[in-house]
Amino acid sequence: MRPADNINELIKKLQLRASAELDKRVHDDISAALTKSEKTKSVQPEPNIWRIIMKSRIIKLAAAAVIVIAVLAGLPFFSGNGSGVALADVLERIEQTQAFMYRMKMTVTGAMMSGMPDGKKEMEGAVTISNEYGMKMEMTMTDADTGQKEMTQQMYILPDKRTAIMIMSEQKKYTRMEFDDDLLARMKRQNNDPREMIKQIMGCEYTELGRSVIDGIDVEGFRTTDPVSYGGAMENVELTLWVDVEKWLPVRTEMDFKMNEQMQMQGVIYDYQWDIQVDVGEFEPVIPEDFTAFPTEGMKMPSMSEEAAVEGLKFFAEIFGQYPKKLNLMNLMQEFSTLKDSENLTDAGLKLKEEMKQMTKDEDDEHIKKVMEMMRQVQSLGMFYMTLVQDKKEPAYYGESVGPDDADKVLMRWKISDNQYRVIFGDLTIKNVPAEELAELEELSPK
Amino acid sequence: MLEDKLLIWKFNRGNRNVLRGIYEKYKDDLVTLAAALLNDVSSAEDVVHEVFVSFIESSRKFRLTGTLKGYLATCVANNARNKNKARRTHRGIALDEASPAQADSNNPEFTAIFGEELRQLSWALGQLPYEQREVLLLHTYNGMKFKAIARQQSVSINTVQGRYRYALDKLRSMLNGEVKK
Repeated sequence: MRPADNINELIKKLQLRASAELDKRVHDDISAALTKSEKTKSVQPEPNIWRIIMKSRIIKLAAAAVIVIAVLAGLPFFSGNGSGVALADVLERIEQTQAFMYRMKMTVTGAMMSGMPDGKKEMEGAVTISNEYGMKMEMTMTDADTGQKEMTQQMYILPDKRTAIMIMSEQKKYTRMEFDDDLLARMKRQNNDPREMIKQIMGCEYTELGRSVIDGIDVEGFRTTDPVSYGGAMENVELTLWVDVEKWLPVRTEMDFKMNEQMQMQGVIYDYQWDIQVDVGEFEPVIPEDFTAFPTEGMKMPSMSEEAAVEGLKFFAEIFGQYPKKLNLMNLMQEFSTLKDSENLTDAGLKLKEEMKQMTKDEDDEHIKKVMEMMRQVQSLGMFYMTLVQDKKEPAYYGESVGPDDADKVLMRWKISDNQYRVIFGDLTIKNVPAEELAELEELSPK
Repeated sequence: MLEDKLLIWKFNRGNRNVLRGIYEKYKDDLVTLAAALLNDVSSAEDVVHEVFVSFIESSRKFRLTGTLKGYLATCVANNARNKNKARRTHRGIALDEASPAQADSNNPEFTAIFGEELRQLSWALGQLPYEQREVLLLHTYNGMKFKAIARQQSVSINTVQGRYRYALDKLRSMLNGEVKK
């Protein structure tokens, strides 16, 4: 056979062997890289903002609190247009109570943010709500895979003082955060309050599940899968309420939703105790003298105001050079967490990323405060958008196609009256525009 | 393939020892590819060395989307092309006017390694325009799909297929004609 008869077969037969000299060069380089890597490890632990977050029990607590706040904030808002007669009866019964308590369990599966390890966390808590004094919650978080308790915290929401306080006994730390008027108004309306949950279900499309028995009690079920029930902040929402058919009071509430691409949450609220006696002292946090403020005083809860949302958009654009793709709270948090891997950052973003890399002291209050402040700005943006969805203000957001240079394009809008919309443009200027003008503006904007 | 995924998984997690396994597994194929592209064993080894140096440095950000062999072959091809370009520029010849590489495949080293039949092939490969040679070797020797080669060369798939056909025709013609150097 001549060589040309089967060139392909001939080519496949080509085979050189790497020389001993090349072997030595490559293996020496690998050894040098290994040595350098070991030295770097011993001198400076891998400087990574998320490693810091996950290593710091305190920040983990704060991060968990954010989830709880998101869930609490995402629950119940009423629209007042419900027509469910039976649920209205339940609501009337609950509204007669001044204070009540319940227990809750939540299981979160998946990675909280980009780059964090997958895991399964179980959160268990007891909540007491008083119309007069506010809310008190005790919560523990356990790693479901190892059974190891990771943290415990007490959280107080004190509307009259516009303050939320978290006490972390194991760490001997406490955090005091202030709310603004918007958040205060919303907290007064909800706090995982079954009343609001019922109003919420009534305001959404729901189905009646019929009768069942829970813990020997005859119950009737109501279920909604309307995403609006969580302000569009969660996907694949399923919210189920089981009501005692004799007393017309909730017995059990089940929640199941997708928080973002990676995270799934399932939760149950149970063991309701209605019309209990509470004492003001139960709502006065006792902070032992040897506990220190974490990270420092003056922290603020995420706001739900328009100003905070604009600040959040500005902050995001300053770091990434573009706006977030979606404003769903958990997706937003996740997109922000890509900061650690992203190469497409602005100078300010690169500087911030570099600054984060320099953080080597896990419990450095100033650094932790800075991380939490950044998270707060992002959370405020997501929570503001969530309120617009929940309040059915027809919000729309075009962050995927509108950037900071698009001064004449609609970045975000929502309805403020029958014929008026509030519009945030690409350059973050804000204007009220009539519906007809908005239609023209959106026609010009890329979708 | 699964073994490669496992190697990369460990690699991404900072286990640089797996680099030794990756190198040992693919070194001969990569040196052969580089040598066939450059017609120079010494330069070929330099190319493979440089590819591994870059690979070592990329451990944290490397993400395998195709096959590891394909990825390394692409790196070698890119590196070899740069070397080839630099060599020609150094000689003052524009790339598009470049004559086929003056192969050292005529040297005793190639004959000793490949045998006479393969030495002829090696010589003929050296006569092909670089882009055609690259397509032929990446497709035939490394099993890369035309689509992937088109991406790597930033040209259309039709261009790649054309280069492949021209390369085969020319090789066949040269080898049948016994036009030996």
